[in-house]
Amino acid sequence: MLTHQNSRPTPPKRVVIIGGHGFIGSTIHADLAAANVPVLPLGRPQLDLLSDEGSDVLKAQLSPDDAVVFVSAVAPAKTLADLMTNLRMAEAACAAFAAVKPAHLLYISSDAVYADDANPVSEKSAIAPSTMHGMMHAARELIFRTEYCGPFAALRPTLIYGARDPHSGYGPNRFRRQAMKGEPITIFGEGEEQRDHVAVEDVARLARHILFHRSVGALNATTGVSISFNDIAHMVAAQFSPKAEVKSVPRPGPRPHLLHRFFDITECRKAFPDFHFRTLPDDFARVHREAVEAAT
Amino acid sequence: MTAPKVAFAGMTHLGLCSAVAAASKGFTTLGFDLDPAVVAPIDEGRLPVAEPGLDALLAENRSRIEFSADRARLGDCDLIYVSPDIPTDDSARSDLTAIEGLLEAVMEAARDDAVIVVLSQVPPGFTRQHQKSGRQLLYQVETLVFGRAVVRATRPERFIVGCADPERPLPPPLASFLASFDCPILPMRFESAELCKIAINCCLAGSVTVANTLAETCERIGADWSEIAPALKLDRRIGAYSYLSPGLGIAGGNIERDLATVIRLSWEHGTDAGAIRAFVANSAYRKDWALRTLHEALLGEASEAKLAVLGLAYKENTHSVKNSPSIALIENLAPWALSVFDPVVPANAAPHPRVTGAKSALDAVRGADAVAIMTAWPEFHDLSPSDLARAMRGRLLLDPYGVIDVKAARAAGLDIRTLGVA
Repeated sequence: MLTHQNSRPTPPKRVVIIGGHGFIGSTIHADLAAANVPVLPLGRPQLDLLSDEGSDVLKAQLSPDDAVVFVSAVAPAKTLADLMTNLRMAEAACAAFAAVKPAHLLYISSDAVYADDANPVSEKSAIAPSTMHGMMHAARELIFRTEYCGPFAALRPTLIYGARDPHSGYGPNRFRRQAMKGEPITIFGEGEEQRDHVAVEDVARLARHILFHRSVGALNATTGVSISFNDIAHMVAAQFSPKAEVKSVPRPGPRPHLLHRFFDITECRKAFPDFHFRTLPDDFARVHREAVEAAT
Repeated sequence: MTAPKVAFAGMTHLGLCSAVAAASKGFTTLGFDLDPAVVAPIDEGRLPVAEPGLDALLAENRSRIEFSADRARLGDCDLIYVSPDIPTDDSARSDLTAIEGLLEAVMEAARDDAVIVVLSQVPPGFTRQHQKSGRQLLYQVETLVFGRAVVRATRPERFIVGCADPERPLPPPLASFLASFDCPILPMRFESAELCKIAINCCLAGSVTVANTLAETCERIGADWSEIAPALKLDRRIGAYSYLSPGLGIAGGNIERDLATVIRLSWEHGTDAGAIRAFVANSAYRKDWALRTLHEALLGEASEAKLAVLGLAYKENTHSVKNSPSIALIENLAPWALSVFDPVVPANAAPHPRVTGAKSALDAVRGADAVAIMTAWPEFHDLSPSDLARAMRGRLLLDPYGVIDVKAARAAGLDIRTLGVA
């Protein structure tokens, strides 16, 4: 649940994006820039939070008037080493925040913080991650909330799609890449698992809304519409002419216990009543056009 | 013994309805309140609550009932009920300040041999904590239902009385008064009676939660809860009067208060209240049904929609908006133009920056893209689907409680959404 410290949307004086060159961070940057908000993106070249001087470098860049978006992570965090690396990054950031406390902190987290059997998932669902990645985000939320001690918000996106997604996880991004290479789109089994898919641009717009309202609390970045991987695959395939082939392949392991995941997005409706998510399959056409343009 | 003189201290909903019911049974009755400003309008016949039959019952029995803020009048009474409504805060916790002050005033003013009975909803332990040497202080469970308070007060199913020693006979004034209602009397220890009230409400919440959970399932799988509920009511283990109508969460304040009390007791005593927490969570979830449905069906894409809400009270036949699903919906409709109508609650109770109050239901729905009937007031049952369809600009009709006939609404071209109906 979010509570707004600004009843009327007010742009921050400046937004510092830690991880500002990544897929999500750069999209947030572009969205804020389009709204004429000054942005300082910090990527690996400017800031290495794992280095000895990382905390001091960040401290030197911060001003108390800044709003900070923290979207930097070694992701997905699959191992204990990944987990500890991500926590050290958060620790270094908190040391900088202790020296120069920014006006607002937004952490880009993940829906992986919730228990697998929380259906429908809402912001009230128990934080009970079953993966190292989920535990990493849950731990970082806790670290920031308790160490930063200022107005803190966590935005928890579900599966994100977008033309420039560097990852190739199971879902629309991988399906599109397979089809662009002329390969069949492969789904596991019947692809019947239903998941929520959110556009990275919608995640960025939600981040802007949170920053403008100086919101505190947690919000899921989810559309409330869950679609099977089979349907997603066919939606992506339909963007190609001729339509790409969709092929079922044996699952790499047993069928997941959690077949479907649904989200109740009422809190988003309450926090930002006039926010509209992009809808599928129309938005896949946009992403497809952008991906094709980027490739040519 | 001669018929006891009975007083009710605290002239809000519970005390007022109970006092009028006592007078209707032939008892000389005093309606007392510490605040003369509360008593004066009641004495003039202007009642602060809307309850079917209450005004008429008072008029019929006016010769037997007086209203006063004079504490000395309590000294005439043999039996004094302490019966103020207990307010709750945002976390459903009782504020006992008023009843403690009133109880102290009653104890000071009452005769030594008078029987004092706490009738308000108090947490377990309250009555024992407030025992005083030489005083007869008992507790009685109230089962007031908003909108049916007169029927409940004049024809109770049973009386549940908390006593220091349930093996001993009830004090004669109380026994005589209760006997006049001709229903079972169940004496039990203080804590049992106080928890019994909570247990009743937990059972009701459980039934409502089952109905809400399965009604939502009906909406998704093509079933109709209104076909299922009658079958359940014929099962003796469930019962004809069970609370199986799906709703928009638990409202009104009293059941929420008792659920919160059980959860608090679980923290204090290490008991498991997981099921009760589930009731609370389901109630909060279901309360947003109308908001979810509006967004899914219309608001997700219509930024200029005009909306109408019929009903503001938390349920029909009451003026109360405590935890009202209608109010909860309206709080989240700020970006859209809104007109409202409620037969009793004024439009300024609607928390909306540019709400328009209408003079009638049809006036409210004129030009609306979507209409939500959020309180099942009897007069809304008379609305004609074709009249609604003609008056509206859009087709979406949210009718959670099934006030409008679904088939007739669909025949009129309306896109009707009802709880528990696919």
